[in-house]
Amino acid sequence: MPRLRNLNMTLRYEDDLKLFKSRQSRLAMVALAVVAIALPLSITDDFWLSVLNYAGITAVGAIGLNLLTGYTGQVSLGHAFFLGVGAYSAVFFGGTHQWPLPLWLLACAVMGGLIGAVVGPFALRLRGNYLAVVSLGLVFLGIHVFTNWDSVTGGPGGTSVAAPLKLGPINFGKLEVGNYAYTRNQGFFLLVWAIVAISALFAKNIVRTRPGRAMQAVRDRDVAAEVIGVSLARYKVGAFVISSALAAVAGGLFGAYQQFVTPESWNLFLSIQYIAIIIVGGVGTIFGSILGAMFIGAAPQIVDKFSGSIPLVSRSPGGSGFHLTVFQLNQVIFGVLIVLFLVLEPRGLAAVWLRLKAYFRAWPFSY
Amino acid sequence: MSIDAMSPPVSQATGQPEPLLVVDGLTLRFGGVTALSNVSFDVHHGELFAVIGPNGAGKTSIFNCLSAVYRPQAGVIRFNDVELLGKRPTATAQLGIGRTFQNLGLFMNLDVVDNLMLGRHHRMRTGFISGALWIGRAKREEIENRERVEQIIELLELEPYRRSHVGSLPYGIKKRIELGRALAMEPTLLLLDEPVAGMNLEETEDMARYILEVKAELDLAMILVEHDMHMVMDIADRVMVLDFGQVIATGPPADVQADPKVIEAYLGQSS
Ligand SMILES: Nc1ncnc2c1ncn2[C@@H]1O[C@H](COP(=O)(O)OP(=O)(O)OP(=O)(O)O)[C@@H](O)[C@H]1O
Ligand SMILES: [Mg+2]
Repeated sequence: MPRLRNLNMTLRYEDDLKLFKSRQSRLAMVALAVVAIALPLSITDDFWLSVLNYAGITAVGAIGLNLLTGYTGQVSLGHAFFLGVGAYSAVFFGGTHQWPLPLWLLACAVMGGLIGAVVGPFALRLRGNYLAVVSLGLVFLGIHVFTNWDSVTGGPGGTSVAAPLKLGPINFGKLEVGNYAYTRNQGFFLLVWAIVAISALFAKNIVRTRPGRAMQAVRDRDVAAEVIGVSLARYKVGAFVISSALAAVAGGLFGAYQQFVTPESWNLFLSIQYIAIIIVGGVGTIFGSILGAMFIGAAPQIVDKFSGSIPLVSRSPGGSGFHLTVFQLNQVIFGVLIVLFLVLEPRGLAAVWLRLKAYFRAWPFSY
Repeated sequence: MSIDAMSPPVSQATGQPEPLLVVDGLTLRFGGVTALSNVSFDVHHGELFAVIGPNGAGKTSIFNCLSAVYRPQAGVIRFNDVELLGKRPTATAQLGIGRTFQNLGLFMNLDVVDNLMLGRHHRMRTGFISGALWIGRAKREEIENRERVEQIIELLELEPYRRSHVGSLPYGIKKRIELGRALAMEPTLLLLDEPVAGMNLEETEDMARYILEVKAELDLAMILVEHDMHMVMDIADRVMVLDFGQVIATGPPADVQADPKVIEAYLGQSS
């Protein structure tokens, strides 16, 4: 009965539990993977590749923050701190000790997760926005430590990162398939977006099973959650640990990609940028974290690139008359986007995407 | 300790079945306000025990003590021979107490299936890592518990709403979903805080029917807090009347209804 296939009927609970329920959505995922692998081949422009690479790195961190803030309802301003922890873990384990790629990446996750597990129980003990305040302190503490722990961080001047990018025979920094030699940017694209895919899959699995439901219960109604047996501490701290670990992986990738990190990169503005990403992308959606990261993670570089042709914007402070620096312009853009999305589409780009999909499914009938 | 409700444990001293729940001398104060004053009662296996009383009498406070949300200043709460005082709310779920809230305690951004699956939380084991990896047990547990949830969806006729977000559903349906979530916990004692408050006559009759069905099919004890006197008198086995935090009568519905102190408490309120 080929016609029945389009009905998308689910007859067994097992089918209802599938991540990609219809054949179309499974095909779409395969197509997406093919595009992801082919894309870097067709883009040779280093600027656009680097935009996509930064967006992917940012997406990993944004998935982490969305698990904590979007799904568990705990607002944290400390995400930048854990990105920094990851970056310096890459410096230490990848750069200084030359651990292989999977190991230094794992070390980033473990360091982020461990520090999250130590800080979490204090920061999440009380109801309300206590975490926002504690995590704010964490950012300033972090910058202080990163600036003064010279032996690891290189002090205020920063340090270079030469973390290995080899996975067995595959070297993402110098990938060769047959006769074709990928550039570093192209190889890194494959690495970063593979990690985005894995992080998204793990996160999606968490939110659709017992731990993720418990996190959302804590977010929606904490007293009721406790009374049905959901331990607030366990799921708040658990979400914080995973969020910190993913932030640290993103930070590690960032360091390895940039090959240089400085202490003041891990500032409050970076944390706010991540909050903007999940608000714009969609609070409480994994896919939205990726959309938001593509949108906002790419914005600063695009603004920077085209700053010459934007009126009243200069690349550096100083000069005469009224003008904005690129940094100030970015702050203005994020601020405006946060407000716009909170007012016009609190469910973010992910909701816009769903609406578009529904519209095209019903096309040409637009009701 | 026997959890098997079919054969309740029998006291050696009296030969009478031991109560499932014993509350003795419960006293709860908030600053100067005494919400509960020396409240004692017991609930037997399979019994439908109703608590009534005017606004502010302390009915919800009893529930909050039973689910360890409030810490009473004095008293004893023994459930299945376990002392509940000093326990965490999560422990009461483990011990077999399920509950609904007067002002709804649903997770409004989740759908009906997920709300009911959360009722199964304490009976499942999947943690962050096995969930993330979707390995053997995680999937098996999801399927097994989904089957239990579907039985409750069927019992309460919630099929049309399975994947609807709870927040968007009508009030009467929400109340039914919350009953479903409490049932999904498979409790031995079910606490229902005003399950028909704010409902019209038809919805009230539906809910009464569901409660009786649950009582007949699931074999659990219930404490029902309710303002709707007709419903209480119709379906309760025993009734306790509270006024200003004190018990003024306990007994079968007909006796309680005829009690002069009860009449006075209710007339005093309506005048
Ligand atoms: N958390 C609290 N803090 C302070 N006072 C409280 C608290 N909870 C209850 N009380 C007080 O305790 C008394 C009993 O309240 P409770 O909610 O138990 O009454 P109730 O019988 O459930 O009333 P209703 O029929 O209106 O639901 C009231 O005077 C109330 O103000
Ligand atoms: Mg009440």
